[in-house]
Amino acid sequence: MDKDNAIEVRNISKSFKVYYDKGNELKEKMLFWKRNRYENRMVLDNISFSVKKGEAVGLVGKNGCGKSTTLKLLTKIIYPDKGSIEMSGRVSSLLELGAGFHPDMSGRENIYTNASIFGLTKKEIDARLNDIIEFSELGTFIDNPVRTYSSGMYMRLAFSVAINVDADILLIDEILAVGDANFQAKCFNKLREIKAQGTTIVIVSHALGQIEEICERSIWVRDGHIEEVGEPLEVHKHYLAAMEEERKAQEEKEKTQLIEAEEEQRKRLAKEKRHGSWEVMLTDVRLTDKDGVRKDNYDIGEDMYLHMDYRVNKPIKNVRLEIDVYRIDGMLCYRTNTDIDGKGKLEFTKDGKITVKFNNPLVTSDYWMNIYIYTVDDKEVECYKEAVRFHVDSDKGEGGVAVMPHEWLDL
Amino acid sequence: MSIFKELYEYREMIFSLVRKDLRGRYKGSVLGFFWTFLNPFLQLMVFTLVFSIIMPQDIDQYYLFLFVALVPWMFFASAVQDGSTSILRETNMVKKIFFPREVLPIATVTSGFVNMLLVFLVIFVTLIFSGRGIKLSTIIYLPIVMIVQYILCLGIALIVASVTVYFRDLQYILGILVMALQYMTPVMYDMSRVQDAAEKMGWPQMVTLYNLNPMTPIITIYRNILYYQTVPHINTLIEALVIGIAFIVIGELLFKKLQKGFAEQF
Repeated sequence: MDKDNAIEVRNISKSFKVYYDKGNELKEKMLFWKRNRYENRMVLDNISFSVKKGEAVGLVGKNGCGKSTTLKLLTKIIYPDKGSIEMSGRVSSLLELGAGFHPDMSGRENIYTNASIFGLTKKEIDARLNDIIEFSELGTFIDNPVRTYSSGMYMRLAFSVAINVDADILLIDEILAVGDANFQAKCFNKLREIKAQGTTIVIVSHALGQIEEICERSIWVRDGHIEEVGEPLEVHKHYLAAMEEERKAQEEKEKTQLIEAEEEQRKRLAKEKRHGSWEVMLTDVRLTDKDGVRKDNYDIGEDMYLHMDYRVNKPIKNVRLEIDVYRIDGMLCYRTNTDIDGKGKLEFTKDGKITVKFNNPLVTSDYWMNIYIYTVDDKEVECYKEAVRFHVDSDKGEGGVAVMPHEWLDL
Repeated sequence: MSIFKELYEYREMIFSLVRKDLRGRYKGSVLGFFWTFLNPFLQLMVFTLVFSIIMPQDIDQYYLFLFVALVPWMFFASAVQDGSTSILRETNMVKKIFFPREVLPIATVTSGFVNMLLVFLVIFVTLIFSGRGIKLSTIIYLPIVMIVQYILCLGIALIVASVTVYFRDLQYILGILVMALQYMTPVMYDMSRVQDAAEKMGWPQMVTLYNLNPMTPIITIYRNILYYQTVPHINTLIEALVIGIAFIVIGELLFKKLQKGFAEQF
């Protein structure tokens, strides 16, 4: 290890087992041993870096990129699968504040408990006690049980202990958000002071500004590898740009997904509206006026022509064609078929076209037509719902459903 | 060897955990810490009542015979059972902070040990009032056997604490095991009973089997010192010490290996 370095990380890799269906009990392990599958998720992939003595380094990266894992490895809470980590000097980590606090004990007693967890001896704690109490701004509350503290007081006490542990290497994970603005500023100044004393600091934070203020270098961790190391301002610029790009890509992806979903929905609806065995199939259905011009707006009493092109997939006979006219609210206005109209059984042998002429009796509203082809035993050969839509617009003001032809005999 | 150095640096953590445990044990009760003495005293009263009136025994002052063995046994039982959950109870700390993980089982066992020491005050008082008194030539062996027992208990605690993290059922299995072991250790009876039984059954290996139990020599020594007030056999003492050291070495080796994965098990 280089004697100028405080931390040397060489080629470390770390993966976690992510269980799909984790059962810890013997029964579960026996019964579902096949189900006990897991995925090895690589969190850190061959990372190396070193930190010089007295240097402050920031770790940045988006959530889940592995920066907190790196810090945990440095703290020796977890161990790498591969590679080595060397650190020189006493390490203190501010990963968890207020560890081991006992609610019934006074703030003063808890300082001893908490500081002892950081590896301080009683003598060392005695020496720091006044500094800690003063820094926490708790004053006379220090002798009250911790359970009577507000959450701000609790965090202030916890932070004061943690930051007053004189370490050679200080590891900090996203905790400079303690207390009010004043206290935060104070913490920050303290951190600067600690750094001036020659302590090596590694910070994990999403508050890039804090890192820029205190660190000489930033390490950008991305998907388990180091993307860039360098001047914080520079690295952060690239990092933010990459984040923005990712955000846009994500947005784009969501947009296409939305469009795809809509398309899917439309297709599904179309399918619902249409089914049949399709020995004969309607290929095109349209409404036109007497000149054969396609239109969907008709007057009362106007002639409308329903054109139905069909394709024959397999010759079929003994069928009937039915037309239902529905109003927009789902009311059946009129139904007729080739049987009713005395056209006899139809026979389809080759592609062709059927045209029906209506004289429109319906009053102002929106309508659609369903067209069916049935066999004699009512099997659906073609069922085409909402094959055409049209509306009737009349300014004459007649109401109801349809025109009843009438005469005023005495007028 | 570095583990000793590390543990020495973290000695204050051990002390404060022990303090927290002892003080927290009867927290909120009216009598508070006084229960530490009241509890064994009341237990002793019950024994006296039952074994001198309802179920009289051939053994002279049976309540004392039982009590001097039961107190060390209860330390053993708590070391094994509380020891097995010592890591699990502090998952938050283990997940978030570095410290030598051995601190947790050590603190648990030490807290049980200190509790036993306090109960021994009750034993001394009882010995004096019962007329047996305390003999200086034998009582000097008491600290030795206590330390030997502490080593053994710590060794076992290191093993069960680390294994329980991976196999949680162990804590419940141990509950039954410790209960069964109590009847298979000369706590409520003497080793002479076992020898008699072995002879009667014509199965001398039973005595050997009993001696395999690491708590057998220790309980025997406690009773020799406090009840019979005789100097313990040096062989028994050495046997107990060897077993204790074996357990603590194996315990630490296993613990060291398993502790690397602790934080990932929660």
